[in-house]
Amino acid sequence: MLTETVDAVVIGTGAGGAPLLARLAAAGLKVVALEAGKHWNPATDFATDEKSQEKLFWNDERLSAGNDPLPFGSNNSGTGVGGSTLHYTAYTPRAQPDDLQLRTDFGVGEDWPLGFDQLEPYYDEVEQFLGVSGPSPYPWGPTRKRAYALGPLPINGAGQLMERGCKTLGIKTSPAANAALSAGYYQEGVGHRPACANRGFCQAGCTIGAKASMDVTYIPLAIHHGAEIRPESFVTQLVQDASGRISEVIYIRNGQEERQRCRFVFLCAGTVETARLLLMNNLANSSGQVGRNLMAHTGLQIWGEFEEDVRPYKGIPGALISEDTHRPKQADFAGGYLLQSIGVMPLTYISQMARARGIWGQDLKRAALAYNHVAGINILGDCLPYEQNYLELSDEKDIRGLPKPRIYFSNGDNEKRMTAHADKIMRDIWDAAGAKNVWAFPRNAHVIGTCRMGTDPAKAVVNPDGQSFDIPNLFISDNSTFPSALSVNPALTIMALSLRTADRFLEKYK
Amino acid sequence: MHYPEGTVRSLLNTNQVTKATRQALTERLTSPAYQPQFFSASEFALLQAICDRLLPQEADDKPIDIAGGIDKRLFQNESDGWRYDTMPADGDAYKLGLAGVEETAQLFFQQAFQQLAGSQQDDVLLNIQRSVAPGKTWEHLPAGRFFEELLTEATHIYYSHPLAQEAIGYVGMADVPTWQRISLNELEDREPRKVNG
Ligand SMILES: Cc1cc2nc3c(=O)[nH]c(=O)nc-3n(C[C@H](O)[C@H](O)[C@H](O)COP(=O)(O)OP(=O)(O)OC[C@H]3O[C@@H](n4cnc5c(N)ncnc54)[C@H](O)[C@@H]3O)c2cc1C
Ligand code: SF4
Repeated sequence: MLTETVDAVVIGTGAGGAPLLARLAAAGLKVVALEAGKHWNPATDFATDEKSQEKLFWNDERLSAGNDPLPFGSNNSGTGVGGSTLHYTAYTPRAQPDDLQLRTDFGVGEDWPLGFDQLEPYYDEVEQFLGVSGPSPYPWGPTRKRAYALGPLPINGAGQLMERGCKTLGIKTSPAANAALSAGYYQEGVGHRPACANRGFCQAGCTIGAKASMDVTYIPLAIHHGAEIRPESFVTQLVQDASGRISEVIYIRNGQEERQRCRFVFLCAGTVETARLLLMNNLANSSGQVGRNLMAHTGLQIWGEFEEDVRPYKGIPGALISEDTHRPKQADFAGGYLLQSIGVMPLTYISQMARARGIWGQDLKRAALAYNHVAGINILGDCLPYEQNYLELSDEKDIRGLPKPRIYFSNGDNEKRMTAHADKIMRDIWDAAGAKNVWAFPRNAHVIGTCRMGTDPAKAVVNPDGQSFDIPNLFISDNSTFPSALSVNPALTIMALSLRTADRFLEKYK
Repeated sequence: MHYPEGTVRSLLNTNQVTKATRQALTERLTSPAYQPQFFSASEFALLQAICDRLLPQEADDKPIDIAGGIDKRLFQNESDGWRYDTMPADGDAYKLGLAGVEETAQLFFQQAFQQLAGSQQDDVLLNIQRSVAPGKTWEHLPAGRFFEELLTEATHIYYSHPLAQEAIGYVGMADVPTWQRISLNELEDREPRKVNG
C-alpha cells in the first residue's frame, strides 16, 4: 500500500532483525519486515539432505578478493525468514567483558562504545527466551545471574574425543552453551518446541524446531504481537525526503517494484548486504566508513581419524567448548579464541577436504571412506580491522542489474600468530586423543564490521544505539556494527544488541 | 574394508526418512541420463574424462553423473554464492579451463587428453593443480584455482548422491526415529557396520 505510512520497516529477519521486530511490535508499533528470502515450513520443506538445503544460503554471487578470499554461501550467509540462523550451528557463548576493550588492553583494534553491563541483561533475556541449553555453572566469564534455561545437551563422539585429549593436556572443557533444546520448551506467543533429536543437521535447517533459529522463536513472537512479514521482498532503495529522512523503502516482489512509506527504517540485512545497500544508495556514509573495517573470525579446523566409530552425523554438532585460550599466557598476539568440537555432515566434510587438501582419485575416495571415524576441533578467534579489508561495489552486475559486492580479505599478522598458536594446541589435543591422518583446514568464518558503531561520527557509521549519524530515522542492527570481532561466535551478541537497540529507540521515539 | 551395499536404498523405503528427504534422494537416485546443454559434445566428453580421474568409478557401478551436474548448474546459471575475484565467471572459467587441459595434454604428450593413458592424464591434471602446467590458456586463467574449483564441485556432486553416501556408510538421512546412541562406538541397529574384503 503506497499511502499507508507504517511506524517502522525492518529489512532482514536474521539474528539482528527478528528480536527487534518482536520488540517493536510488542510495544504496539505498526511494523513491517521485508525479507529477501522465503518463509519456509521446516517440517515439509527441509529434507535431511545437504544439497536440497542449499536453498537456505545466500547464493547471489559475491566476488572474493585479497590474500585470503572469503567463501560465502554455505560458509557464511543465509537467506529466508530467519536469515543465517536457519543454518547456524547455534553455539551461543557470551562475549567476555575484556572482549569489548581490545584497544585499552592491547593498544590495537577498537574498544566498544558500551560495556558488558549494557549487554548482560539482554544476554540473559535472549538465553531464556531461546531456551539455550548449557552447564551450570559455566566455567568462564563473569558469574551468571541465572543458570541457562535448560541443562546441557548430550556430548557426541567428537565432543568425547576432544574431552579426552584436553584432559590429558590439562585444558578445561565444558559442554557448550547451545541454542538447541535439551528438553521440550513452551513459551507464550511462540508455542511448544520439542527437544533436539540429535540429528546432527544444525548447519542446515532443523526440521523439528528444536534449534532456536529466528523463524521458530522471535518471528512467531513478532507475528503474535501484530508484525507483518513480507517474504521474497528484496529491498533495492531507501528514498530520502527533503529533510534527509528516509520516507520510503522500495523493494522488488514477484518481479514488481513496490513501495512502503515509513517513519523509521531498521536495516538488518547482514554485514555484506547492509553495506552494499547503503553504498548503492549513497547513504549514511559521510564518514567514508561504510564497507570499511571488515573482519572475519579466524576459524581454523583440525580434523583427525580415529579407531573409534564416531559417526559425525549424530548429536548436536557444537557439543564441547573450552575458553581456556581466551587470553592465553605469553601469547604473541592480541585477543584470543575459543575451542569447539565439531560434528559434520558428509558433503560439507568431504568437499572441504578436497578443496583444502587437494587430494583426488583413489586417495580422495579412501579419505572419504574414513568419514564415520572423523572428528574435528574448531577455533573462533578475534580478528582486527585493517585498512586492506573492505567491501566495495564492483562493475559486474547481478541478475537484478545491481552491482555485485567485492570483498577484500587478508589475515594480518595478529590472525596468523593466533592461528599458529591454535594449530599447535589442537594438534596436541588430537594426538593425545589418538588421532591419525590429522589435517588442517584454515578458514575464516562470520563476516563482521562494515558499518562500525562508535561515538565519533568521523570514524563510525552508527552511534552506540545503532542510529545512523547522518540519517536520524535510520538504524542498523546486525553483524555489521560490531567495532571488534570478539573471541566468540556472534549470534547471541547480535540478538542482545538488537533488543538493546529496540529499547533505546522506544525510550526516545515512541 | 567397505560398507554393505543397499543400506541407503532400503532405508528410503521405510518410514525412518521424512517425505521431503525421500523425495530429494530418490530423485537423484533415479534421474534419467542427461544430455549436455551448456557444453558442446566434445567439451562434455573431455569433462567426463577428467571427472573419471578425479573420482574414479568402477566399471560395474551405475555411474554417478558428475559432468551432467556441472552442465546443469551452468546451464541454469546458478551460483554457490561466491567466486574468486581472480577468476572469470563460472561458465567462462570452465570453457577456458577445458581448453587449457587439452592444450597442456598436447604440449606434454602431443595427444588429446582422452587418448592418454590414465597415469598420463593424472600427470596433466597434477601439473594444472600445482599451477605449473604449460600452455597459453593458463596465462589468462589461474590453473590452481581452476583445478580447486573443479575438484570441489565434482566432489560435491558425487558425494551428494545416495550411492556414494551408501559407500561411506552414511545413513544420517534416516533421522525420523531420532538418534539415541550417540557416544563413541555406539551404533543403532540401522547404522551399517564395516565389512572386510
Ligand atoms: C554454517 C554457519 C554456521 C554458523 N554457526 C554459528 C554459531 O554456531 N554461533 C553463532 O553465534 N553464529 C553462527 N553463525 C553466524 C550467524 O548465523 C550470523 O552471524 C548471524 O545470523 C548474522 O546475523 P545478521 O542479522 O547480521 O544477518 P543474517 O542472519 O544473515 O540476516 C540477514 C537477513 O537479511 C536478508 N536480506 C539481505 N539483503 C536483503 C535485502 N536487500 N532485502 C531484504 N532482505 C535482505 C537476508 O535474506 C537475511 O535473511 C553461523 C553461520 C553459518 C552460515
Ligand atoms: S541436532 Fe538437534 S537442533 Fe540440530 S538440527 Fe538436529 S534436531 Fe535440530
